[in-house]
Amino acid sequence: MPVQLTMPRLSDTMEAGTIVRWNVKEGDTVSSGDVVADVETDKATMEMPVFDDGVISKIMVEAGRQVPVGTPIAIISVDGDDAGSIVAVAGAPVAVAAKSVPINSAPAKTAVAAPSVSASASASSSASAPSVQSDAVRQRVSPLARRMAEEMGISVASIVGSGPSGRVVKQDVLAAAELLKSGGARSVGLVHVASPVQSATAVVPIGAGASEVMLSGMRQAIARRLVESKSTIPHYQVTMRFNMDPLLELRTMLNAQLEPQKIKLSVNDFIVRACALAMAAHPFFNASWAGDRIILHGDVNIGVAISLPMERGGGLVVAVLKQAQRKGLREISTETRALAEKARTRGLGPEDMAGATFTISNLGMFGVDNFTAIINPPNSAILACGAAVEQPVVRNHQLVVGHEMQATLSLDHRVIDGAMASEYLQSVKHNIENPATLLV
Amino acid sequence: MSIATMREIEFRDAVREAMSEEMRRDMRVMLMGEEVAQYNGAYKVSRGMLDEFGPRRVIDTPISESGFAGMAIGAAMMGLRPIVEFMSWSFSLVAADPILNNAPKMLYMSGGQFGCPIVFRGNDGAGGQLGSTHSWSVEGLFSNVPGIKMVIPSNPYDAKGLMKTAIRDDDPVFFLESERLLSMRGEVPEEEYLIPFGQARIARAGTDCTIVAFGRMVNIALEVGMELEKEGISCEVLDMRTIRPLDAGSIIRSVKRTGACVVVDQSWSFGSPGSEVAALVHRECFDDLDNYVHRVHSADVPAPYAHNLEQEYLPNARRIAEAVRSCLYRS
Repeated sequence: MPVQLTMPRLSDTMEAGTIVRWNVKEGDTVSSGDVVADVETDKATMEMPVFDDGVISKIMVEAGRQVPVGTPIAIISVDGDDAGSIVAVAGAPVAVAAKSVPINSAPAKTAVAAPSVSASASASSSASAPSVQSDAVRQRVSPLARRMAEEMGISVASIVGSGPSGRVVKQDVLAAAELLKSGGARSVGLVHVASPVQSATAVVPIGAGASEVMLSGMRQAIARRLVESKSTIPHYQVTMRFNMDPLLELRTMLNAQLEPQKIKLSVNDFIVRACALAMAAHPFFNASWAGDRIILHGDVNIGVAISLPMERGGGLVVAVLKQAQRKGLREISTETRALAEKARTRGLGPEDMAGATFTISNLGMFGVDNFTAIINPPNSAILACGAAVEQPVVRNHQLVVGHEMQATLSLDHRVIDGAMASEYLQSVKHNIENPATLLV
Repeated sequence: MSIATMREIEFRDAVREAMSEEMRRDMRVMLMGEEVAQYNGAYKVSRGMLDEFGPRRVIDTPISESGFAGMAIGAAMMGLRPIVEFMSWSFSLVAADPILNNAPKMLYMSGGQFGCPIVFRGNDGAGGQLGSTHSWSVEGLFSNVPGIKMVIPSNPYDAKGLMKTAIRDDDPVFFLESERLLSMRGEVPEEEYLIPFGQARIARAGTDCTIVAFGRMVNIALEVGMELEKEGISCEVLDMRTIRPLDAGSIIRSVKRTGACVVVDQSWSFGSPGSEVAALVHRECFDDLDNYVHRVHSADVPAPYAHNLEQEYLPNARRIAEAVRSCLYRS
């Protein structure tokens, strides 16, 4: 039986991918583990391995094209395949799985198994909030109405259909557009969802010296996800100052002793450890809003925001330290360093970026005093750290010179209230100002 | 462009003019069939042709469709270009083997040695109270066969231009006339013209719903278009002119404009030109459709004899209008 390769889901948020380059051509022999293509997702360009031995009998999506996750992109014929069965596979594209299949239903009825890469990727993303509707309540929308709503930037979910079984049809979309124009939208709960990309193009006047930069997949993803975050999550911020002197002192000592082992702990490693340990007493900081309930995640998977150099296209990725509550400083340090190095050279794989439950963004190395960050959905909080600045401080009623760092939590008020936020920050502050606790 | 000299003639005259002009132009063209010569044709389509072309080129045949259809195929293989008149396409069923099993496959099975340039023509569809066996719409049945071309004109102008193209075509052409249209009058220029196959005509331009129609149904669809205009529904009526080749491009472009499609096909619905159009539109215009393609066909029963039942059996203006309203969610 020939094996169909489909566009894999290489990140939690990936909906489509672009084949940047095929490393094989039709007729080439491949074996399990071979990297057959480079795929650009919304986050990065990643390598796509195969998990079967065989011959590439057909390439169905040429390089440069973007296709949705689940779209068949190539066929591998394994020993004994005949031409007929290959045609049969090519002619029966697998349904795009993730979105349309109810979570509790049987797997899609297809003779071809989905490539295991997409299976493992979706399994690892199970921590993210499930938002799959069951068939019983699935909204019916005519293809034309769906397309028109998309073009007009109207959410079909907010339109009541007048067709059979409540199907949303063309006239319903036109009526909704009229209502939006006349400003009567709020009374019926219509939602305008113009994409950030679309809304910007219409209004920007272009001067003589201007030039245009085409959006990479990552830039589009950043735009989409952060607009979604800022416009749907009720953000608020809480800031606290930490006395960094004990931590800096401990760090200097440890780094001197660890130098022969080529280990160099960063301030950020301590912050990751401090945040992870504080979770034990504050489980709501390791949680996700799921519409009708809140999900408390067991493991603390801490996302660390990493900016990419311009030669890799710039942008931002979030590398994930899994089960950070179980990891010591040494492990946190080496793992973070490896992830950052990988992000800036080869690019992170899906496993490296999936499943964050809490995120830390640190601009201290740039001398920033403080800033606020936007929550990385489906997280409920993100910590924005500034630099440990040497400055006049009051200690024991004395004005002295010391190091202080400002840390600002951005929080989802649906999950975390102000007092809870302050208590968590106090725990983090205690861990940082008494850094010996981080060693055990 | 010079202004053509128009005059009004009947559908049957348009068909005859086409045949006569082509017979004057090409000595290989001949006409054969039951009563086509001395009786001037059962429906007077070939009036005067025996006088002009003589009994060697306008031939009365016995009542034996299988025999003379087969003879025509032999003649075509040997270099002639026969036109075969079936008094009714219903009678062509006894000639199924020559017209379906020989003519369309000749070029293929002879490895390109023998073509089969024949026009089979005759009345198709219910003539009016002729009963089940004489009221066939063969387009569903015969359009299924690869190797043929199928023409279904709706008016005198198209009938003439398409017939001339049919006679010059090197493949077997099934030319479906309608007893109900033979007396239809329409403007036809004196000057010669040909209408290529596979080019639909926008019989009526509109913005809300595309009505794809074949042959006589086009005229009923046009009536419906005028009627629905009063309800504020703007119909675009496509006269397909030929079923094979089917002008998919015109259908797709129109449906992409209107977002709705109704097919009117007088043959039975199962496995028909109408179902083919529906499949095409669903495949090519999926994201442009506000509703599924609605289809109007003859009822899935043998044609009734009773006048009132026959009227209800055939696609009629009321059923087409209901389909358009339903397709636009206006019913």
